[in-house]
Amino acid sequence: MAQEQKPPEVPTVTYTVKAGHASNPQTMEVHAAQGDLKPWDLDSKLRVVKGRQPRLDGKYKVTGRAKYTFDISMPGMLWGRMVRSAVPAGQILKIDTSKAEALPGVKAVWTSDARTVRFAGQDVAAVAAVSPEVAEDAARLVQVTYDEASFVTDLEKAMADDAPLVYEPDKIPGPKDIPRKGNVLGPKPPGRGGSRGDVDKGFADAAVTIQQTYSVPTHTHSPLETHGVIAKWEGDQLTVWASTQGVFTVRDGMAEALGIDRKNVNVITEHMGGGFGSKLAPSASGSAFAVVACKLAKQAGAPVKLMLDRHEEHLCTGNAPSALMTVKIGAARDGSFTAVHYRSFGSAGIAGGAGTGGPAGSLHGKNPNLKIEEHDVFTNAGPAAPLRAPGHPQGAFALESAVDEVADRLGLDPLEVRRKNEASPVRLIQYDVGAKAIGWERRNKKPGEGAGPRKRGIGMANGNWYVIARGSGVGAEVRIHRDGSVEYFSGAQDIGTGFRTAMAMVVAEELGLKPTDVKPNVGDSRWPEGPGSGGSNTTNSVAPAVRLAAHDARMKLFALAAPGLGAKAEDLDAADGKIFVAASPGKSVAFKQTAAKMSGEVIAAVAERKKQFETYRQDLAGCQFAEVEVDTQTGVVRVIKVVAVNDCGFPINLLTTESQIIGAMIQGVSWALWENRVLDRNVGTMVNPNLESYKVLSSKDMFEAVPIVTEIANAGNNTSAAGIGEPCIVPTLGAVANAVFNASGARVRTLPITPDRVLAALAEARRS
Amino acid sequence: MAHPPENDEDEGGRGVSRRTFLKTAGVGAAASSLAGVAIPAAGATVLGPGAAPLTLKVNGAARTVNVEPRVTLLRALRNHLDLTGAKEICDRGACGGCTVLLDGEPIASCLMLAADAEGHEITTVEGLGTPDAMSPVQAAFVEADALQCGFCTPGFVVSSTALLRKNANPSLEEVKDGLAGNICRCGTYSRVFEAVQKAAKASARPAAKRG
Repeated sequence: MAQEQKPPEVPTVTYTVKAGHASNPQTMEVHAAQGDLKPWDLDSKLRVVKGRQPRLDGKYKVTGRAKYTFDISMPGMLWGRMVRSAVPAGQILKIDTSKAEALPGVKAVWTSDARTVRFAGQDVAAVAAVSPEVAEDAARLVQVTYDEASFVTDLEKAMADDAPLVYEPDKIPGPKDIPRKGNVLGPKPPGRGGSRGDVDKGFADAAVTIQQTYSVPTHTHSPLETHGVIAKWEGDQLTVWASTQGVFTVRDGMAEALGIDRKNVNVITEHMGGGFGSKLAPSASGSAFAVVACKLAKQAGAPVKLMLDRHEEHLCTGNAPSALMTVKIGAARDGSFTAVHYRSFGSAGIAGGAGTGGPAGSLHGKNPNLKIEEHDVFTNAGPAAPLRAPGHPQGAFALESAVDEVADRLGLDPLEVRRKNEASPVRLIQYDVGAKAIGWERRNKKPGEGAGPRKRGIGMANGNWYVIARGSGVGAEVRIHRDGSVEYFSGAQDIGTGFRTAMAMVVAEELGLKPTDVKPNVGDSRWPEGPGSGGSNTTNSVAPAVRLAAHDARMKLFALAAPGLGAKAEDLDAADGKIFVAASPGKSVAFKQTAAKMSGEVIAAVAERKKQFETYRQDLAGCQFAEVEVDTQTGVVRVIKVVAVNDCGFPINLLTTESQIIGAMIQGVSWALWENRVLDRNVGTMVNPNLESYKVLSSKDMFEAVPIVTEIANAGNNTSAAGIGEPCIVPTLGAVANAVFNASGARVRTLPITPDRVLAALAEARRS
Repeated sequence: MAHPPENDEDEGGRGVSRRTFLKTAGVGAAASSLAGVAIPAAGATVLGPGAAPLTLKVNGAARTVNVEPRVTLLRALRNHLDLTGAKEICDRGACGGCTVLLDGEPIASCLMLAADAEGHEITTVEGLGTPDAMSPVQAAFVEADALQCGFCTPGFVVSSTALLRKNANPSLEEVKDGLAGNICRCGTYSRVFEAVQKAAKASARPAAKRG
């Protein structure tokens, strides 16, 4: 969620844009930096962008030829391995590496200076050896002596007055002006959306009030490629191949940690096996492994490859904080809200940042009275890291479950209650689209009314996200070669979203080519700067720079074509590999033929983005509808179908955009029904640090996933693109929980929705 | 301890008993290199704990690797033959990312010692097609966008290929069964199913013409 920067003052040019949704166009003015282009809008005739382009790196990935960091090796390379604390709290008295150092094949050893242990899995030592097997042996030979201390891993226990302290009061991370008591920091000032009105008055005016508490456990990101790097020194020059979401973050982080100049660090991420937010740090949120790898490489005088294993990945590379959320809603008889009070506690382990108030701050905008209070609770567990719309899926689960409970209490259609409180014109469109796609009228009018023990039901929930973009300091380069070949360069990384393909589509659009005619070059800090892939900001930060560079190259090429066509460069257009006079397309010349006229070997156009424009809306609307089947005898829930309706501005590549939405629905259902990091409360270590008992959704659990993009001319940049990776996971958890209620009458307020919880909720429903 | 065979030609005297022993030795070697204790089974020859040459038949070619007996087939392929398509993701047979074909059957190569793979035909994802000549399954994966980060994709491609060789026209439920051992974290399952069924149709067409 980083990278929001105040735009620098730059001279501007004003464009009039037809923005918003095609069914309800809005004419608006945007102020672009001089030299920037008018945004693509509802009137733009796009030939390539918004189409469906299979990803250009697909053929390398499906044949096993794509080289991820994990796959790279080089002559003389050593294998690094970390040693991690086995205990959750205490002091390190001694780290004895003598036996490890004596093992044949061990070339370098590192030990941590830190002596205080706050979670099981903290960095303690590391080795580098001639093979992964020898490195594993050596790591086991490192002997660590601890003076163990009492600890707490459970959120609610950590809130108790007599809980062991994770930090001494003066060492708690976070602003000093926020109240703190024991392990609890808060209430924190509300983030986006914030509080408004007077909730006490609102509740006094309410016809009905509900108050419920909901909880979500900690999830781990579990990217399939673990965190890791290869570090190689050549003199003062350091090259790091990194599995990262931010090549420039790694560059800057290594330079700072090692005390060297940024220009002497080169970071490369050609292919990357998933991150979901955990790979935004220079190393990881709970480990400095990348810095350690660089130090081992320096010490050994050889390249060092250091990839974490699956167990480590769960412990120290981040997670999504747990959350305990109390929602109080007051409403009038017609379903309009009079007040919402949202109060949450959550644990990001030893880190802060467990807030979940985002959805409460943004959804149900017509509600006049809102109060949000968020608290961080510290526990002896690995620090969290942003995970796909941090805090929002959790917050939306609680809030949207509570909204459903209000509708049930009032005997109203839950969708009508949402319409009543809706402030976004986009989500109002989405309600109709989603309701039609799922067949909303098929839902049970009375929860659990279906016949037989296996009952189906339909529920829905809302989600929100924000237009987050890096408005300046983002560049791109486009080159046209004399032979007519075209390539572009962006230092930013493709983390699996299809970024590299989308950027090729933008170049192809400007140059009148096919995306397959454009060679992508991404993920290298020697190329123009791009953002870290967080906040769903990569495409909408880089695409405008790519378009600017491509447009510059286009105009240079048009200048070469113009004399032969008897026209001015600005009267030309390009499509299907040809350059032609826009007013009389019959007058044309081939792209390649024109390229051959250049005086040198290459036309190179470098562009930099100067500022973000005004946007049609700053929020990204979404809602989802789920159909589930609940076996009321066993408590097993099966998801039948999920419909996701989401705004992402203009989708550059509809095919890969849909893939991201499908993936978010899958991860959301996985959180709703299965995922749960379990820490042993007696020894403080993780019980399920693997991929079979940390259960994630697999083939047999798969449902029918229907991704629907609500195309919005966003106008915030010259492509009108916004983001999609995060917003589409926000509604899923709530939609599934509400569908379980509609199917069976069981209101499960604790995730994951496991069979025991369903049976307990059914028993509860029968009692009341 | 007896010595490992000096070269690839020394096939005589090797066979079931040696491989049977290697299963024991491979597990024991990790401990023996530290503790110096290994108890060979009666009548067995000892291999390791140091590196020993093995011959693996991979993608139709015999390849010699010099590996410690404890090295898995997956690590032999990846770290000694630079066939990095198969991935080590969970390292315990739970995710399918390391799937290769052993005599045509999909197996988790992280759960098999390289030494145990001697004498078998191993096919990795690299052996199924190339970027310029993709197999029907591989081409269908690209077309349907049945991948995102792509890290699990080689495993899915190999499992899908094995499935279609057994069942040329699988139903959706049969596809789900066939891929039940593979995990994707980006969430591509539905498009993987679509790709497998597309590939089945693409392969069926020439057969139909012949018929």
